[in-house]
Amino acid sequence: MTTRTTKQTGTTRRGALKTLAAGAAATSLPLWARYAEAQTSEPIRVGFQMHRTGIGAAYGRWYGRTTEAAARLINEAGGINGRPLEIVVEDDGTDPKRGAEVVEKFATQHNCDVGYGTLFSHVVAGSAPRAGELKLPYFVVSEGHHVASGALNRYTVQPGITDVKSQVQAMAPFVAANLGKKVTMIFPDYAFGHDHRDFFSAAIEAQGGEVVAKLAIPPTETSFTKYFPKIPRETEVIYHVMVGPAVLTFVKEMGEFFGPSRPEIFGFIDSLEAVDISSPGLEFLEGTYFWEGMPRYAQADQSPYDKFYREQVGVDDKGASLSDAKDVSTFAHMFGCWETLYVIKAGMEAAGYKGPQDRQALIEAVEAMTEMPHSNEHPQGAKVFNGKTHQVFGPQYISKLEGGMLKVQHTTSIEEGFYPDEVDYTKMSF
Amino acid sequence: MKAPLDTGGIRAAARLALAAGLVVAGAGAALAHATEGGLVLLLPTDFYTAAGASAVALTVVLMAVLPEPVLARIFAPLLLLRLPRTRAPEITSMLVALVFLSLVWTGLSGSRDPMENPLSLGIWTGFWIIIVTVQGVAFDIWRWVNPWAGPVSMLRGLGLRPVLHLPVRLGYGPAIVTFLAFAAFLMADPAPADPGRLAVFGGVYWLVNLLAALIFGPRWLRRGEGITLLMRSYARMSLVARRGGRLTLGLNGWQLLRGRVPRGGWAVFVLVILACGSFDGVNETFWWLGVLGVNPLEFPGRSAVVWQNLAGLAAANALLLGIFAGTVKAGLMLNRSALPLAEAVRLFAPTILPIALGYHIAHYYTAFLVEGQYLWAMLEEVAGNSHQGHGHGDHITTGFFNTTETMRRIWLTQAAAVVVGHVIAVMLAHAVALKVFGGARRALLSQAPLALFMIGYTFFGLWLLASPRGV
Repeated sequence: MTTRTTKQTGTTRRGALKTLAAGAAATSLPLWARYAEAQTSEPIRVGFQMHRTGIGAAYGRWYGRTTEAAARLINEAGGINGRPLEIVVEDDGTDPKRGAEVVEKFATQHNCDVGYGTLFSHVVAGSAPRAGELKLPYFVVSEGHHVASGALNRYTVQPGITDVKSQVQAMAPFVAANLGKKVTMIFPDYAFGHDHRDFFSAAIEAQGGEVVAKLAIPPTETSFTKYFPKIPRETEVIYHVMVGPAVLTFVKEMGEFFGPSRPEIFGFIDSLEAVDISSPGLEFLEGTYFWEGMPRYAQADQSPYDKFYREQVGVDDKGASLSDAKDVSTFAHMFGCWETLYVIKAGMEAAGYKGPQDRQALIEAVEAMTEMPHSNEHPQGAKVFNGKTHQVFGPQYISKLEGGMLKVQHTTSIEEGFYPDEVDYTKMSF
Repeated sequence: MKAPLDTGGIRAAARLALAAGLVVAGAGAALAHATEGGLVLLLPTDFYTAAGASAVALTVVLMAVLPEPVLARIFAPLLLLRLPRTRAPEITSMLVALVFLSLVWTGLSGSRDPMENPLSLGIWTGFWIIIVTVQGVAFDIWRWVNPWAGPVSMLRGLGLRPVLHLPVRLGYGPAIVTFLAFAAFLMADPAPADPGRLAVFGGVYWLVNLLAALIFGPRWLRRGEGITLLMRSYARMSLVARRGGRLTLGLNGWQLLRGRVPRGGWAVFVLVILACGSFDGVNETFWWLGVLGVNPLEFPGRSAVVWQNLAGLAAANALLLGIFAGTVKAGLMLNRSALPLAEAVRLFAPTILPIALGYHIAHYYTAFLVEGQYLWAMLEEVAGNSHQGHGHGDHITTGFFNTTETMRRIWLTQAAAVVVGHVIAVMLAHAVALKVFGGARRALLSQAPLALFMIGYTFFGLWLLASPRGV
């Protein structure tokens, strides 16, 4: 099987059509000939492991758009080391087993220089070992703590998005100081929810606060009214991390339960990523707080980088598609793709990357990175990369929903997200 | 701060198991059928479901009180213009075969992205969603786009003759087997939309059936190839058809009352269509994932449930065949009819075709809304009108999954397809019963269990649409 993708992501379909034309030689159309442009230099191939289908598809689509925009800009600016950047898309179905197969295809069939773009943590966990075995630099955009925890390998890095442990920890001081010290946590009863429970419990205690109740909700639950009476009266803040299709029902029922007199409420935007916050039934969220990886709504003090990034990706001031105001993006996460692609570019340039023989040098060049200034390349904010743990650290945003818009109340410092290293990948052999 | 807990791998998990695409996940999975997501759970679907089932129940009552001729009139066809005899379908079939082969080639060599690759879009969106729907609702388009008929006819024209006789005792067995193979690929393969896998499966399926049609003659396409038999079954549901050389128009289902009674295997095949269509929905629900012991918020991917889905598919088929036969038997007993059960199943099985078609439309409607855009963009590009924006993805939207009003409209459209399918099925079943048993009273008695079955199936179908999904 040959690889037929094209120089820019925007032209992958054209590549396919080109082949279609070749296949249907009898009916070939001259129209397609224009895509058969000669390539002057061999492209740098980035294998994009995309959640095109499966439960990650909504994210995959926006990760794709962001990747496409960044790749286009990089190519317009001369590519990487003078070579064009080519994005090779493979769908992993948001499926760990297929993820490993996709990584293998990147390395052995598509002649990719690196793998990139994986979001869902279980897919990262399923794919990263294969990347390590194949010695394929693997740039994930997943937020999971699995990279920095030491569970993965020398070839797997997360340089474009912060991890959940850092996020939760950075939030705690604001919650304790501004919302309240007695917290009730409501979370889904499986690993994801447990992580939040454990990370946040420790973080809030370090701020002199306490978790007064932990309500674990079965993952298949679709009605929540029976859980709300279990919230202690003394609760000052509710911390919720509900996910899944029932999350809107959860919010609505919580609103009906409390009415106008409610405790402060803090949640993660993940619950409502890509959801139009003005949807009926979500009025109750007005006045509540959210963590955002990157503010969905352009703020009054919007940086020129944020403005540039939105323009290039095709997203308006409300985080929705320029071509459909109801098509809300996964704004809090997708910047990670953009920033990661620029890290790959910077790493390849620093390493003088020429081909797969330089993969080690690329990893070492990325490990040597430290500060990344707030810029068009890093529109979410300045970052600090920890070469030992292969994890980047950056600011977090706490926003309040006011007048149907998320307004940033507080931006955490990068340092608030630091925690002691749990691994030193640089000591592992290649 | 020292890590209170290590969250390597899966555990750090799915913060991104996120509201996960689950909230909006229709988003373009060639097969991931859209999850109507969280907004559907906010809709008063219990009320809608009750209303839908009541509509079907009301139809049953109407059937009991309406005079016989009314039903006959409802399904009476209108003869329209005379149609010329033409061999054009052989030519278009030949062209479609060429296009299919070139699509297979692009599946192997083109973009790896199923939303970009013409094969994935062509088969799952163009054929499985659009053409199948046109076939059942409008007219026999398969006659024009069947990728075997033209090549078989051409090769026979060159002097190739069948070398084996397709044993009559096999009946429609081979078609049932090949259709189940297709259904298994659709529902249980880890990545049916992957262009490479689809190219291999589609290419092999096409070739095997072409060879079989050459070995056994064109009758293979009538009794051995499942998709053609599916399309021939749905052709009997379409609004217009050719009758006696004339274009004829009637309410969907009219042909079923005029055609020959299908042979036994075909009746079973019709039940298989409905069973497969029903399971292709059940397999995404929280309920099914619960049966499998899979956390729907952390769905481990299709490759983790291959055997489970195959077993589910088999069970769904066995269950529906059993329930349907039991229902028909109960009707015969109530009616004290001497009609043999097999004969009665043959008579009544076709009446569930509208239900299967309604399911198909409802189930794939959301996927159509998303993937149809990708297909359209691809066709525009072929026509030379590609969008010159930031990139191809800019004009694809799933915004309609994000607001309550649009989701309400989408859900009600799906529900309408299910309910209308059942209403037509009830009417057809009653018309068949009248024909077979004579008087309205006997027809009604014989049909009561089947009517209950159909009302129950309406509940099931609407429950399926309203259920939270994890895939």
